[in-house]
Amino acid sequence: MRVVVCVKQVPNPEIAASQFRVDEQAKTVVPVPGVALVMSPFDEQAVEAALRLRDRGHDVTITVVSMGTESARAVIKHGLAMGADDGVLLVDPAFEGADSYATALALSRAIGKIGGVDLVLAGRQAADWDAGVVGAGIAEMLGWPLVSFARELRVDGRAARVERMLDEGTEIIAAELPAVVTVSNELGAPRAPTLRETMRAGRKPVAVWSVADLGLETGEVGAQGARCMRERLFIPEKRSRCEFVEGGSPREQAANLARRLREAKLV
Amino acid sequence: MARGEIEGDWVMGWPDRKRATLIPGKDAQGRVINGRAPLTELEGLITPTDVYYVVNQLEVPEPVHPDDWTLAIGGEIERPIELSLKDLRKLPGRTVRAVTECAGNDAGFFDYLMKGGRKPSRINQQDMQKRAEMREKGELPSTEEIGNESTTTCAVSGGEFTGVPLAEVLKRAGLKPGAVCVRMEGFDRGRPDLAVQYRSVGRSDFQLVDPGVINYEKALPLEKALDPDTLLAWSMNGEYLLHIHGAPVRMVVPGWSGNWWVKWLQKLEVMNRMPACYYQTHYFVYGGSPEDPHKHMITAMGVRCIIIDPLDEDSPLPRGSHRIRGLAWSGMGAIARVEVSLDGGKTWREAHIEEPREKWLWVRWSHLWEVDQPGHYRIVARATDETGRVQPQTPWNYQRKHFDGIVPADVTIV
Repeated sequence: MRVVVCVKQVPNPEIAASQFRVDEQAKTVVPVPGVALVMSPFDEQAVEAALRLRDRGHDVTITVVSMGTESARAVIKHGLAMGADDGVLLVDPAFEGADSYATALALSRAIGKIGGVDLVLAGRQAADWDAGVVGAGIAEMLGWPLVSFARELRVDGRAARVERMLDEGTEIIAAELPAVVTVSNELGAPRAPTLRETMRAGRKPVAVWSVADLGLETGEVGAQGARCMRERLFIPEKRSRCEFVEGGSPREQAANLARRLREAKLV
Repeated sequence: MARGEIEGDWVMGWPDRKRATLIPGKDAQGRVINGRAPLTELEGLITPTDVYYVVNQLEVPEPVHPDDWTLAIGGEIERPIELSLKDLRKLPGRTVRAVTECAGNDAGFFDYLMKGGRKPSRINQQDMQKRAEMREKGELPSTEEIGNESTTTCAVSGGEFTGVPLAEVLKRAGLKPGAVCVRMEGFDRGRPDLAVQYRSVGRSDFQLVDPGVINYEKALPLEKALDPDTLLAWSMNGEYLLHIHGAPVRMVVPGWSGNWWVKWLQKLEVMNRMPACYYQTHYFVYGGSPEDPHKHMITAMGVRCIIIDPLDEDSPLPRGSHRIRGLAWSGMGAIARVEVSLDGGKTWREAHIEEPREKWLWVRWSHLWEVDQPGHYRIVARATDETGRVQPQTPWNYQRKHFDGIVPADVTIV
């Protein structure tokens, strides 16, 4: 079975919120000097989901695909060190400025070019923009079923059995392969790369494909191919308000608090 | 990850071991304000700068450009002088390799050895971030919360420091007769975090003196100030001092606990009496209780010996040959002897001390242990320094400073 995992390189989401800056004029995020670029944590869990299929005895070949600048090679190498078999780096100046649509287009073409893919995994959303639609876009473009927010993934014959998160619980979905599954954090912690696997990863192949390699025109990808217009980018102002709940007795205070929480639709 | 599996990472583009990292506490801007060294993951004698432990009593100051920095030397001297970093660097330099240890390092072991209960771990140091956040908010922990926190371990590191002996600077200034100490003042300033003292004592149900906003300062007795190994250092581990470690210039006071190693130095004042510095009259003191009228300042550390391998967490271990390994150091000179006991202290065997045995740096020691009987083993080790001091030297004191007791490693062999 061939599994493709789509991963994205993002600024380390563990940085302090106060370090985060945007350029409102240019409508871009200002890179923070010294902040490491890492694999988006949800994507890391998608790699983990693929590796767990292998742990359960499935014969899987796992390919890690990322679109970005040359620096994105680092997240592919991280996936290889976790245990993936090979990587594909989509790098071309024309890819720059892509929105979710243009990203999904490039990735779906790459998946087509890899060929023979049974399952595509991706994080439920990227830890930088949190859009959460690239996985769905890939499924749409490939014409495959999508199962989102997976907390557990099993493969049974030619079907994926996915336990997916709902607001109030989970549901189990069976989808015929090939399919796209996006993975949620409830899957659990991804494995840390071992030194032995990291050394092995140094010899694993990473293909580099440009826009032309995907059979696309430069006008279809990146900023030119984007269908989303960014009108404004800003950090929302946080307002907090403190309200003391009165009451003649602890019981009355608790009752008033419960009423206020219900009014605010918090419980 | 499977037990014993080595973690991997990409270092300079190559597959490599994952490097050990500091266990940090950061402020809201992501800046490290305290940190513990991952002692159990390190090798050798010099702690890499990135994982060197960090403790700060006051707020970490804004950095000062080395060209804008000056050190004022005044007080009971013939010629008050002001030195730039360039001036300092023209004086005859010296490099010293020494252990820096927080006075409160391993404090929780005092309680463990006296009362038993949960043994502090050198691996689980996970609440550093919580402490940093409490500090930023000015929150004080309750006695119960202190009891639930992990105790301070791994606040110790070994480094190489380059600078100029304080004695050289004092020689140029000319000491007046009657000088007894040198007050060392940093440009870190703030209101002492009282939570630090409460954690040190292990409870917060008593009143503390609040000195308000102060600069960090310590008054170093003249005898130690004139020791040629007491330095004004601008370099650490082969590079210029980092800001978090006290740049442009910090004190290095080998053998004495970290609170004497004043960071971000800005002023030296020679005095003919001991001033009542907050950090040696109210904190960093020996005494029986917060109300003890006879508290006195802590100075040289005792004799330390810790077992790094095996740790309790390594159990169960297979029968066969194991190397027991650890570190030993002293506040008053080189380590002369390390002994190991495999029966909880009934009988002792000589451990091998690896070269070099430097005066102020720790030594690595080891003992080959052949074990063919399954069971529970209590391994202990103790050190003796060149002055003949055998651990433990420091009795329990209410701020639990300078712990140097003998801590067992409890290991199960299967």
